[in-house]
Amino acid sequence: MAEVLIDKLCKSYGSAEILKDIDLKVEDGSFVVLVGPSGCGKSTLLRCIAGLEPISAGGMTIGGRQVKNLPPAKREIAMVFQSYALYPHMDVKGNMAFGLRFAGTPKAEIEARVAEAARILQLEPLLKRRPRELSGGQRQRVAIGRAIVRKPQVFLFDEPLSNLDAALRINTRVEIAKLHKLLNATIVYVTHDQVEAMTLADKIVVMNKGRIEQAGKPLDLYYKPANLFVAGFIGSPAMNFLEGHVTGSGRVEAAGSGLTLRLPSSCKPGDKVTLGVRPEHMNLGAAPGPLLQAQVDLIERLGETGYAHLRLPTGQVVISEVRGEPGHVTGDSISVGFDPVRCHIFDAAGRRIE
Amino acid sequence: MSRTAYLLLLAVFLAPAVIIYSTFSIYPLLATIFNSFYDRQDDGTSLFVGLSNFTTLLSDPTWSAPFWNAFRNNCLFFLIHMCVQNPIGLVLAALLSLPRLNLRATYRTLIFMPTMLSVVVIGFSWQLILSPLWGVAKMFLSFFGLGFLFGPWLGEESTALLTISLISVWQFVGIPMILIYTALLAIPDELIDAATVDGLNQFQAFIWVKLPLILPTLGLVSVLTFVNNFNAFDLIYAMKGALAGPNFSADIMGTLFYRVFFGNQLQLGDTSMGSAIATMMFLIILTGVMIYLFVIQRRMHRYSF
Ligand SMILES: Nc1ncnc2c1ncn2[C@@H]1O[C@H](COP(=O)(O)OP(=O)(O)OP(=O)(O)O)[C@@H](O)[C@H]1O
Ligand SMILES: [Mg+2]
Repeated sequence: MAEVLIDKLCKSYGSAEILKDIDLKVEDGSFVVLVGPSGCGKSTLLRCIAGLEPISAGGMTIGGRQVKNLPPAKREIAMVFQSYALYPHMDVKGNMAFGLRFAGTPKAEIEARVAEAARILQLEPLLKRRPRELSGGQRQRVAIGRAIVRKPQVFLFDEPLSNLDAALRINTRVEIAKLHKLLNATIVYVTHDQVEAMTLADKIVVMNKGRIEQAGKPLDLYYKPANLFVAGFIGSPAMNFLEGHVTGSGRVEAAGSGLTLRLPSSCKPGDKVTLGVRPEHMNLGAAPGPLLQAQVDLIERLGETGYAHLRLPTGQVVISEVRGEPGHVTGDSISVGFDPVRCHIFDAAGRRIE
Repeated sequence: MSRTAYLLLLAVFLAPAVIIYSTFSIYPLLATIFNSFYDRQDDGTSLFVGLSNFTTLLSDPTWSAPFWNAFRNNCLFFLIHMCVQNPIGLVLAALLSLPRLNLRATYRTLIFMPTMLSVVVIGFSWQLILSPLWGVAKMFLSFFGLGFLFGPWLGEESTALLTISLISVWQFVGIPMILIYTALLAIPDELIDAATVDGLNQFQAFIWVKLPLILPTLGLVSVLTFVNNFNAFDLIYAMKGALAGPNFSADIMGTLFYRVFFGNQLQLGDTSMGSAIATMMFLIILTGVMIYLFVIQRRMHRYSF
């Protein structure tokens, strides 16, 4: 296994800059997840690492080796595609062995590696089947098997679970996590799914419009988002944002009411700030801290917990998690509070203020 | 819905197709086969003669020599299409589907253009181009110092059929190209990416991944070529007339049938023998298509992506 170092990578298609100044370190044996809105360049970055797209500027090393000008097959990577991209005209074994045969690996070695991968992924009974005779989950495992047999330095996954149904997705997620432990593999993994990102990742990389907004441990991103984008992207339902401005020392005027918070000393009266509070850190009724007046718009009940959509006097809607059986109905006037310690503060440029 | 109403509805929907197909396809076919069992007498009546028209056609030297000549020529005509037209169509399709290609639509249209032109126009233009007297082909070759290569290709027994076949290839190469191109487009890019990661270059990915996946289309193209070639008539007739000269060297089943059935110059039309030839053509094509359907196609898998 090896570490991947990406240094000031840029990628453009014609005049369109898709990736700008990407700096990223994927530690040896770590599981890095790329997340971000659709079209932000996650797949493009992954394909650049794979060597399927030439990079326009910058460099990249895999295991200390500059790979900028190496073709994909020489980079010692393996990629699992969203559509699995199995060769339809070959059976499972043929699919897994194809790349090795091309690389001139000895027959016995190929047999051994395929058998090993088939054992790990429980594909042994399926080796003679063609892809179209397999279920979605089985195809997924074959695609992973095809990656394993290459014994790559780095595994690249592009939304590998998005074609599976919900139950299978959870299963496969767990299996990928186990596989990561078992193979002690370096993995770069693209996903749309927050839960996948939070549960699998050693490091989450949040991308937006071709830039990395923040990279860090899942909980760091959750507790200390570096900016408004990351704050809004990580967590579901998304963080509530309240626009406001500093009125005096430790006081903020936001959401139509004056709130007292512990503000950092760098905040001067008149500064515009944005307060961010996660739904799970809000409380209906009494709370240790500032209170907002609101009207209940809608309550979504999920069982153990639920979400209350609350309309503030300014017309803005915020979402608060509710536990147990809330006695409120649509139209009720209530007050909602939040813990000031759990409140994130961002400056006018959207950067986090500590 | 009652059973009668259902059957009635079925009949109403099937009727147009059945009527048109029967009138214009099945009836003429059956009539031709029927005709080939009769011999038209001088007094205008027809006499049932069983298979004797066929025995005449295959054993009487005055009939069998032209028949086998036409058959051989036709096989050659088909072979040239298979060996030249379809490989070129495949290569053009592969080039057209290259990821980085400008003017794709222009090439596609230009290559397909001759297919849309009238055969008569094509035949006439090529006759002018290849004419030893004023054809541009001769000047063109001379310009490159290759004038010695030029010959009256359409007028020599040894080259007439080959020349006409190549003109036909030039005209119709667009059809295999479009069919194969469409099949290539259906192959997902990710599959080729996977092959690239597996260490194949563009060319190897084409041979080992794309080609096996478009085999069904190649089969289809082959069988279409076969049917079209054994039904061919118009280009040879337009360029060489019904005699398909010189000395019948470009004679194929279609032109032979035309001369026999409708008559030509001093040869009187003979509907019975003409029908026998037409039936033979039908049987040849039927055999070819059967082989394709029951032997080749069964072994091929169609893939959906
Ligand atoms: N071949 C290409 N030519 C031009 N632009 C491209 C090409 N491929 C991708 N793009 C552009 O690059 C941007 C990033 O695409 P990419 O596929 O990396 O997004 P993504 O983050 O993977 O999105 P998704 O989550 O929807 O898969 C998009 O705006 C897309 O339009
Ligand atoms: Mg993508």
